[in-house]
Amino acid sequence: MLLLQYHNLLLQTILTERLAIDASPSSIDQIVSDFDNVAFHISTPERKSSILISLYIKCFNDLQKYGVEELLQRKYGDYLLPTPEYGYNVSLMLDLGDKEAGIPSNIPEEAEARQDLINEIALLKRNVIAAPFEIAFDKFDQLSAEAAEKSLELYVPEDSGAEVMAIHYRDEESIFIKPSHDRVTVIFSTIFKDETDRVFGKVFLQEFVDARRRAIQNAPQVLYSHKEPPLEIRHVPGLKTGDDIGYATFVLFPRHLAPQRRQNCISHIQIFRDYFHYHIKCSKAYMHSRMRYRVSEFLKVLNRAKPENAEKEKKTASGRRFEIGRR
Amino acid sequence: MASFTPAVVMDNGTGYTKLGFAGNDAPSFIFPTAIATRNTSGSGKPSAPSKPSFLTSSGSSGGNLSQKRGTEDLDFFIGDEAITAANGPNYGLNYPVRHGQVENWDHMERFWENSIFKYLRCEPEDHHFLMTEPPLNPPENRENTAEIMFESFNCAGLYIAVQAVLALAASWTSSKAVDKTLTGTVIDSGDGVTHIIPVAEGYVIGSAIKNIPIAGRDITYFIQNILRDRNEPDSSLRTAEMIKEQFCYVSPDIVKEFNRFDREPERFQKYLVDQGFGRRVSVDVGYERFLAPEIFFNPEIASSDFLTPLPEVVDTVVQACPIDVRRGLYKNIVLSGGSTMFRDFGRRLQRDIRTLADARIHRSEVLSGTKSAGVEVQVISHKKQRNAVWFGGSLLSSTPEFKSYCYTKQDYDEMGPGIVRNFSLFNVP
Repeated sequence: MLLLQYHNLLLQTILTERLAIDASPSSIDQIVSDFDNVAFHISTPERKSSILISLYIKCFNDLQKYGVEELLQRKYGDYLLPTPEYGYNVSLMLDLGDKEAGIPSNIPEEAEARQDLINEIALLKRNVIAAPFEIAFDKFDQLSAEAAEKSLELYVPEDSGAEVMAIHYRDEESIFIKPSHDRVTVIFSTIFKDETDRVFGKVFLQEFVDARRRAIQNAPQVLYSHKEPPLEIRHVPGLKTGDDIGYATFVLFPRHLAPQRRQNCISHIQIFRDYFHYHIKCSKAYMHSRMRYRVSEFLKVLNRAKPENAEKEKKTASGRRFEIGRR
Repeated sequence: MASFTPAVVMDNGTGYTKLGFAGNDAPSFIFPTAIATRNTSGSGKPSAPSKPSFLTSSGSSGGNLSQKRGTEDLDFFIGDEAITAANGPNYGLNYPVRHGQVENWDHMERFWENSIFKYLRCEPEDHHFLMTEPPLNPPENRENTAEIMFESFNCAGLYIAVQAVLALAASWTSSKAVDKTLTGTVIDSGDGVTHIIPVAEGYVIGSAIKNIPIAGRDITYFIQNILRDRNEPDSSLRTAEMIKEQFCYVSPDIVKEFNRFDREPERFQKYLVDQGFGRRVSVDVGYERFLAPEIFFNPEIASSDFLTPLPEVVDTVVQACPIDVRRGLYKNIVLSGGSTMFRDFGRRLQRDIRTLADARIHRSEVLSGTKSAGVEVQVISHKKQRNAVWFGGSLLSSTPEFKSYCYTKQDYDEMGPGIVRNFSLFNVP
């Protein structure tokens, strides 16, 4: 498994099971977690046929500033509850309907439309984080149109004055997004708790920086800086400083922001941190398997090097010899 | 409102792995503990992982680039996907857990990697983990587990619990369990083998553990044989398994049950098999409904080499334990695993064990001439029996004090892997 999936597999599995045409109603009460301390709670609080799906995400306050509500309204309008479940940020209610009680179902009848709905809900976390990206990309459209009007030289570094959007999606790590007229800059701040991880992470990021030079010209430009925050966000208040902090900067160019690529681009970039950590762990696992192999090889050598059982002369206390097999 | 980073409970059994989050009442994922890896040059043995090119001699430079950036170590599947992949070409199936113990750590590490990141979707640095181990697991295996969990995954905290103890904890949900104690006899019957494990105050009495080679698979084979004898239109293993799960129950007395079947013909039932391609056949279900689970109590009807009934083995196990815990062991006999799910299994077992115990007490009363207070025998069955181990884990790890029992990454860095040789037991409330 090289890539991580964008959707939540468990959410998808549960819903597929429950929304199947011939599924019998049963009660659910499960807590499902996702990367970055995101938690889902899927339950049937009132009756077996009404499924409540709630999402908790740490950076919801940040996201609210960047239009997550419009996005949710657009994507899940029919299912969104006005007040989320206590302790969660977003709640969706799917009602399978209850013929006896005369409650209509609010989900589509056709199998295909249902599947689409399930997939969309499984992508809930991704969609929620996508909100600021969409805003940034729209802003980019606007700025680039303005720039074209003023016929500015492309690729001239110019302060667009656009605000830097900061999403504090983990306790100590954040995403910063800054649109300008010719690019959108996305900066991840990363912290490694573990020394080994930091070494691996550095190598990985170095590879990311080099990959573009070597083979993949179409990839966005990646920059990595250690300790020093990049110029784009240097003025942002409340930046943490420390030895173990690093910044990975992605520069998205217009070709990444073409309307047909946009959604894909958002999916890719927001899973970056998880992808990055996943591969650090995978490479450690790989190193460990190499080490185990090495150890077993050495053990083989050691076993071969055991001294042969040298025949030692045995004597009794009185000095007589045992002579075996002489008679 | 639960804490937002629930602990992860992983129970890697020989056959199936149960994964999920603490606080839930059922595992989120149950799939075979299998990993499908890419076959290298058709050799059957798991070969050494390929060397990165900078370690090999620089002589062979051709095609090095692809080798250098290879991701062969990521080319694998686990669980149901592994079984599917192994049916196709290029992939071979491996089972990293044998007899409850991890045999192949390379595979296990990757199995965990995929379980955590693909299935559970959690960052291990944010979560505490509760893993399980079989009784009599060598401490070295614990250390290996800790090494992987802490060094590869940097998990926030780790607790390794013995499966039997978790099964005891799971029985606390039963209404019959009066006091929450960690003393009891666990009967764990899965697919391959049935274990009888006495536990005293949270510690397994290793010397008294007994295994019997009768479990779920034997029952399935037994049913399959009956179906074949009767010349049923479908006698596949799958059908036998479905009959076992849907129709079988334990009878108090076989002779009476035979008579009842003859008197009440509605006890004979039919099972519809969908053979695919729209063909449906009907299979009769008869005496095997109560005969199949009977092999636990009268093994001679199915096997010729193992002849001790389960109640007798349980009694022997308890008698092999120190005398001061025997009363507790008789009083709290806990069932766990899918093959203990038959209706009235617990009741029959309780009756048979009580008969054995009472007979012995009677004998000693006669011999010594004193009066005994008797011994209470109680078999506890509950709703979560099938995944009792996982459920017990979920129960314990959702308690607020769970995190204080875990060893953290800092502890591990300070003390080394030897730290996991001892875990403090959960305080019994």
